[in-house]
Amino acid sequence: GSSELQESPMSEDSPETQEQRARATLRERYLRSLLAMVGRPVSFTLHQGVLVAAHFGATDLDVANFYVSKLQTPIGVQAEALLRCSDIISYTFRL
Amino acid sequence: MNEWMKKSPLEWEDYVYKEVTVVASENKEYKGWFLTADPVSANIVLVNFLEDGSLSVTGIMGHSVQTIDVVNEGDHRMREKLTHLFMSGDYKGHSP
Repeated sequence: GSSELQESPMSEDSPETQEQRARATLRERYLRSLLAMVGRPVSFTLHQGVLVAAHFGATDLDVANFYVSKLQTPIGVQAEALLRCSDIISYTFRL
Repeated sequence: MNEWMKKSPLEWEDYVYKEVTVVASENKEYKGWFLTADPVSANIVLVNFLEDGSLSVTGIMGHSVQTIDVVNEGDHRMREKLTHLFMSGDYKGHSP
């Protein structure tokens, strides 16, 4: 009956379906974590031990760049800037 | 492209809800609860619950990930906490 169908374990799905489901869940969570970061102060660890702080604005679909504002650099504050993700090792923010 | 970026979404999903240590470029080390890995960039999101009830969220760029190790398999309570994170708009804090 239909109740048996609903109880069928996920492992009966094809590997493609399982992978697609995992991909969707992981991506949605990542996008939500980015949404939570919008407008907040974020510290970025760049290569060669460079630390910068900025307010996160947005990113592109393939997460290649972070658009930020009030970027604090060793040589002053930049009102708006684009950080290349290839230059970044990590980023941290508080909630 | 490093080993981490070559993994499949199902392999990334294995780390979800577990406490991990990640070693990234330039020997930078990070520890926290694995929330997700972006399937597009392989960026990892780790969460740490701080004593004052706030939350520290760290993103590690996929291209810089060298190694990742599970240090704690987690439990039902942690899973519950992490599942609802970022799902309902503003974060309201947690009970330490």
